[in-house]
Amino acid sequence: MTHSLHRSGDLESQKRDFNWFMYQTKGVNDVGIKPKALAFIAAAEAAGSENWGDVKTGPITRFSSEEIREKLTDKSRIRGVFTRREQVIEFLKRIKAQELGQSVVITGVLSEVLPACKETGVTPHSINYSLGVWGKKEKLPDDVTLSITTMCGHHMIPPKFVKHIMKQVEGGRMTPEEGATKLSDFCYCGIFNQVRCAEIIKDNIKKDSVV
Amino acid sequence: MAQINQDKCVGCKICMTYCTVDAIHQDGKKCYINQDECTECYVCLRQHVCPRDAIEAVELEGFYKQFQHVMSDPVENHGVTGVTGRGTEEVKTNDVSGRVKKGEVGICIDMGRPGLGVYLRDAEKVAMSCAKAGVKLATADHTPLGALMPDLSTGKLADECHDYHLLSVIIEGKCPEANLKNVIEALQAVEGEIDTVFSLGLILRVDENGNTSALDCLDELGIPLPYRGKVNVGLGIPLSLA
Repeated sequence: MTHSLHRSGDLESQKRDFNWFMYQTKGVNDVGIKPKALAFIAAAEAAGSENWGDVKTGPITRFSSEEIREKLTDKSRIRGVFTRREQVIEFLKRIKAQELGQSVVITGVLSEVLPACKETGVTPHSINYSLGVWGKKEKLPDDVTLSITTMCGHHMIPPKFVKHIMKQVEGGRMTPEEGATKLSDFCYCGIFNQVRCAEIIKDNIKKDSVV
Repeated sequence: MAQINQDKCVGCKICMTYCTVDAIHQDGKKCYINQDECTECYVCLRQHVCPRDAIEAVELEGFYKQFQHVMSDPVENHGVTGVTGRGTEEVKTNDVSGRVKKGEVGICIDMGRPGLGVYLRDAEKVAMSCAKAGVKLATADHTPLGALMPDLSTGKLADECHDYHLLSVIIEGKCPEANLKNVIEALQAVEGEIDTVFSLGLILRVDENGNTSALDCLDELGIPLPYRGKVNVGLGIPLSLA
């Protein structure tokens, strides 16, 4: 699945948006993963991961860290969000030092991710490059809505709900941060960047309506 | 299968805001789910959006209905590949599995995304176009869509599945780097024949700086060089050493 790859929106905004992943390979290293998953979570939290989760339980914006850790199984998929290159470097340094043997993936703007790899001393093995959207693009929602909905690559965030949240913020009934957290609840994986989402909401509503 | 209990529905239309593909409509004073449009993503069920609990899950009957749900709901594991989401490992474990080797290009086509969904008849058009251009499509062991292709060499899907609407499904395969231009030209031709969108990913082995010359052909095709990527940083222990 490529649910973190095809994010959209302003390039400078995307540069503050990274996803980290731990992956197990079926039949190779997919048994007894809980200790390794806990090591990844510890490294991510130490590096300041703003959101993370396990698709089998949900994200930390909705469940406690303890609950997600407790429910880890071999079917879990651990992943999350960073907003700065320095966090990626710190995370990779910690993971590399532990030699856990699991696959590690960082998704983001390549001009940010590749220098982070170099500074950490890890050597990229393969890259899945995004060549963007093809086909009947005229059927897509507007660019602002897409910049939010594509942060859940499984597309669990309904475009109409994004509009609803924008109206709530415009009407002063919630802050951009509260709206972003509500949207993040839809992304079970924990890869939704609610920090970037709040920035997008702020930038796209009437300035005088922010509470 | 998600459906709205007409006896409980009060027509408040709250649920319509929560449908990922606008498959919930109103008929008179009641809301209903158009079953041809619904992808069985279960967002309306998981988010408990109905104040009257009118949205109910009904048993999914038949293989294709279950396939539709598993592909559209990332919480589910795919039965064969064992992977959540849309059930494929693509680049994420390539350092361990060695699935895409030097000199090869992994083709990863996210049909229906972002957010429109895809009828399998449109997925078939793109898969057949890839196969004709020389893409070796992935088997059912590696990617869920393979289970619907009786003949991987053509990319044709089983006729019975054509009208199922999925939130997304991935067409996966490989081709030699030398054939990449042909494959992209085939995709440029077929993109006008489908009633949805797809997001295209190309998986490549890269040098120590994260570069590859395989993308040089994009310039000839008028396609900008990609600026986003999913980088496998090479910390997994390769299968040969595991």
